[in-house]
Amino acid sequence: MNTNSSFELNLFHSFKDGDETAYTFFYDKYFRRIQSFSVQFIYDQDEAENLAQEALLHLWQNRESVESINGIQAFLFTYAKSKCLNLIRHNKVKDKFKNDLLNHKERELDIEVLNSIQFDTLELTELERIIQESISELPPKTREVFIKKRFENKKNAEIAEEMGVTLKAVEAHMTKALKILKTKLSDYLFLIFILIYNN
Amino acid sequence: MTSEIINKYLSNEASEQEVQALFDWIEASERNKQQFIKAKKIWALTTLSANLSIETVPVIQMKPKNKIGPYWQYAAVFLVFLGLGTTFYLFNSKSETPKEIVLELGDGRKEYFSGKNQTNLLNDKGDLIAKKFPTEIIYFGKVQDHKVIYNTLSIPYGKRFKLKLSDGTVVSLNSGTTLRYPEQFGLNGNRNVYLNGEAFFEVSKDKNHPFIVHANQADIEVLGTKFNVSAYPENPTVNSTLIEGSIKMSEANNSSNAILLEPNQMATWQNNSKKLVLKEVDPTFYAAWTKGELAFKDTPFSTIAKIIQRTYDVEIINENSDLARQNFTGTIKISESSVENILDLLKRDTPFNYSIHQKTVTITNPR
Repeated sequence: MNTNSSFELNLFHSFKDGDETAYTFFYDKYFRRIQSFSVQFIYDQDEAENLAQEALLHLWQNRESVESINGIQAFLFTYAKSKCLNLIRHNKVKDKFKNDLLNHKERELDIEVLNSIQFDTLELTELERIIQESISELPPKTREVFIKKRFENKKNAEIAEEMGVTLKAVEAHMTKALKILKTKLSDYLFLIFILIYNN
Repeated sequence: MTSEIINKYLSNEASEQEVQALFDWIEASERNKQQFIKAKKIWALTTLSANLSIETVPVIQMKPKNKIGPYWQYAAVFLVFLGLGTTFYLFNSKSETPKEIVLELGDGRKEYFSGKNQTNLLNDKGDLIAKKFPTEIIYFGKVQDHKVIYNTLSIPYGKRFKLKLSDGTVVSLNSGTTLRYPEQFGLNGNRNVYLNGEAFFEVSKDKNHPFIVHANQADIEVLGTKFNVSAYPENPTVNSTLIEGSIKMSEANNSSNAILLEPNQMATWQNNSKKLVLKEVDPTFYAAWTKGELAFKDTPFSTIAKIIQRTYDVEIINENSDLARQNFTGTIKISESSVENILDLLKRDTPFNYSIHQKTVTITNPR
């Protein structure tokens, strides 16, 4: 589904040569991904958009250091990760809960989660393939719920209304989706775990 | 039990008590903690397929009335073809001389947004007032004196832009729009901006300084809220649609002719009758363009043609009277569709021929 066509490869070369239209292509392709990754850690849509914008700007300025087409995504996510970590560590993330202890605990956990992710070029490409495969293999209804929830940021109630099912059914689909994804991705994430700890 | 709470937490729907319980559970053992970290990691990484929604759901879902069934299938068949075709179109059209986004400063100097780099914008005194990005500009700095200087930003057809004013208000500007606004808002009085075209406002709260959008012959007054205003000069109306908060729309020359909006309502100012009309709407539909989409709901082709002209910077000449009367419903991703894709799709419902020369599209009766 997402193999790099010769078309994208050509674009990558133009991008390296400073072609702005080619850059726009990658900008459009990755903006949402970076935004939707970051928002999971900084909990602010606008901030996450700014961050994605910054990451992509940084990519353009450092295009010479990107060596392969797969390196683009690794570059962007690595930037997003360190930016998120910075924001959390410097207390620039909005308070989500009234109870300050919860805010504090959440930040500590988020730091651990971020640190556990390595954005290696090869791994990322492989991971992308596995995730896309796993999502597309979900049962149709479950997949629809998952996509609406995760990528369209819809509330359970909205999804229930759109699909004409009960709220409970939406929740059940979500639980099912994450369970399946967890099983499918487990082996792979476990592998990464070993790689990191052996290096 | 726990996995349900984790899921709720990840999708941001857990209550504070539930989060508290979850965090207690996480702290109970290292194993629990690792399980949570793994779940959140997977959740965060699924973003690697954030474009999946677009790939599995048809890009264009044009469905004419009463023909929903078979049409959906068509839309799905179109998908792969669209994906390839559009990108090429995008590139061809962009290599032609594009019209530019122009920012006119208070002293008449003009700034362009051609470069991809971030640049700083200084006022005539040499103070830093804004940072310029390729598709966005962010103003900042504290309000200085009461001498307010206005900037004017013009977005040509085929482009969209985002602007953050010095009070933190975010304005998304649609194609073919001009906005005049203070470089920095004054210490006292209202926050005034002047709109020609269409914009989506997310106004930052400041009860002491009402935010007023002057659009054509109507004023829209706000106290911190999200709403869309459409005031293209070629239309004899000004529409404002409220998403969140509360706004008041009034006649510019007669402030007693006013109407108060609640969320999910749209107020329309009619130039001819000098009347304000209120109706209930689905606001996401009117704000679709801010997410890079065109949304139509029983929209006549004449209106769709105008929108296509602005969005893709083309001229459409329609010589087909059947088509002019036809209504369409559907959603289109702007960046992934081209004028050809859209016309080809419409053609399946109401047959017509079209030809494209340079940037002029001529629509004729079917042969």
